[in-house]
Amino acid sequence: MGGGLQERATKLWMGALLIFLYLFLYAPIGYIIYASFSVNVVWPFPPEFTHAAYAKLANSSDYKQAFGNSVYLALGSAMLATLFATAGGMAVLKYPVKGRVLVLLVYVSPLFIAELLVGISSLIFNKQVLGLPGNLGSAALANAAHGTAFGFLIVLAQLVRYDWRLDDAAMVFGATPWRCFREVTLPNIWPAMLGAFLISFLLAFNDLEISYYNLGAIPTLPTVAWGSLRYGLKPELFALAALVNGLVFVVFVIMYLLMRTGLVRFGYREE
Amino acid sequence: MKGRFLDRKAVRFALLSMPGVIFLLVFVLIPILTILVFSFWRTESYELYADWNLENYRVILTQRTYLVFLGRSLLTATLVTLASLIVSCPVAYFIAKHGGRYRLLLVVALAAPFFTGIILRVAALQTILGPIGLINMALINLGFEPIRAFMYTKVAAGIGTAYLYLPFMVTAIYLSLVNFNFELLEVAKVNGARPWRAFVEITWPLNWIGTVIGVALVFIPSLAESITPRFLGGPDGASFGMILGNQFGTTGTWALGSAMGVLLFAVSFSVILILFRTVSLRRSGFTGASD
Repeated sequence: MGGGLQERATKLWMGALLIFLYLFLYAPIGYIIYASFSVNVVWPFPPEFTHAAYAKLANSSDYKQAFGNSVYLALGSAMLATLFATAGGMAVLKYPVKGRVLVLLVYVSPLFIAELLVGISSLIFNKQVLGLPGNLGSAALANAAHGTAFGFLIVLAQLVRYDWRLDDAAMVFGATPWRCFREVTLPNIWPAMLGAFLISFLLAFNDLEISYYNLGAIPTLPTVAWGSLRYGLKPELFALAALVNGLVFVVFVIMYLLMRTGLVRFGYREE
Repeated sequence: MKGRFLDRKAVRFALLSMPGVIFLLVFVLIPILTILVFSFWRTESYELYADWNLENYRVILTQRTYLVFLGRSLLTATLVTLASLIVSCPVAYFIAKHGGRYRLLLVVALAAPFFTGIILRVAALQTILGPIGLINMALINLGFEPIRAFMYTKVAAGIGTAYLYLPFMVTAIYLSLVNFNFELLEVAKVNGARPWRAFVEITWPLNWIGTVIGVALVFIPSLAESITPRFLGGPDGASFGMILGNQFGTTGTWALGSAMGVLLFAVSFSVILILFRTVSLRRSGFTGASD
């Protein structure tokens, strides 16, 4: 590599822009963590530290229930979305049959419908057509639709260069379709599936606009945050967000170590 | 023999893709069709009545306020998308080209703020940008004028919206660049192309589909955005999405809300259609098998 002076300058300003973007994205997160340890969450200056919010959080069953609902909603919708996205992505990439562009368009269609519209339309559909009251299941399904589209995109991008002849070879040697999937396809596509799972989990875990219209009175973390706005955000919410971010940070460190040692490549190939 | 082989392919294709297609038809496209139907109905004291009429559309298209809100949302969404595009391209390029084995981590780190709820993040942004926010307080303490543009204005709402959706754009462009053969640029350079020309003739067209998807992923939620304007937009910053949401909350005028939803869908769909007219699936390498 190395390159000329101009190339190095380009690399430098692009890297600087990336760092600036990280700062922009993480400034509010940093502020939330800082505020979670402060006596006054609304205007925590000058700093005065306490862990009262964490003690309150540990004693409150409301937030535990909301957190549990959020995890349930996110897991359910992410599992469904990963399944549909992987199967759909494999079908579209592996079999060049007629009509696959149409199938592709159906899979990406939720991307082009705003969450707000998905929320209100499934509210109307459930209530007026099916006569169902708001519940976690319908919220999870509506979220899974959005997650499927995002997951499909990830699967497509990751597998577009995958050589499906590997699978055909396994079949020629007499492997059953299931065994072929487990022993040849799966080890190659799992990073894509993980990506699809992660993004659909993330979207559902923190979704407000779809869940808001579909849940009725059932609390999830985003709807509790929305509801508590009327009386000012509670410090417990900041503490909970800080804990979730702590967990994310730990996962990042683990990922970094795995990548550094080359133990897991997450689909990265040395070129 | 060949015919049977093709048949089996078609069957496998259907078996793999149909569950998802049916799921999406039932849970996305049919609900969207129901709002289309209800937009021609009438609501009275929180109940929907099936007398077909165009009243809802007449209200939206003749009362200036709705169109003003829509126009404002369109302008904001366009500016937010452009700003995101300008930032995302170099950032995604940097990660794809120089990220090495850590590039996945670098991308996931851009998405990780999504683990914190949107309300909390926007509230935190408010504390950073607002009139007594960190930036302005720091400016005042240092003896400068505070930046009025950040105080509950449309600019602040735009910054908030970009904050929420920019990671989608970076990810989309990154995913496209990961499948892009950077050696093509070396070839162009060896043959004497200047960097700018190589970008215009190679990088840009070959990554156009990923870019268009990124544009759509930012434009569509920005157009429907209802949360950041409420927090950061100030008293006259109401957006179309906010008013639309209200029809299903406090006012309970579902039919009018449905008509607004249909209009919002129609506008975003037209924009997407125009954008995708410029895309050729074949050139993007989608037909993959051939390379």
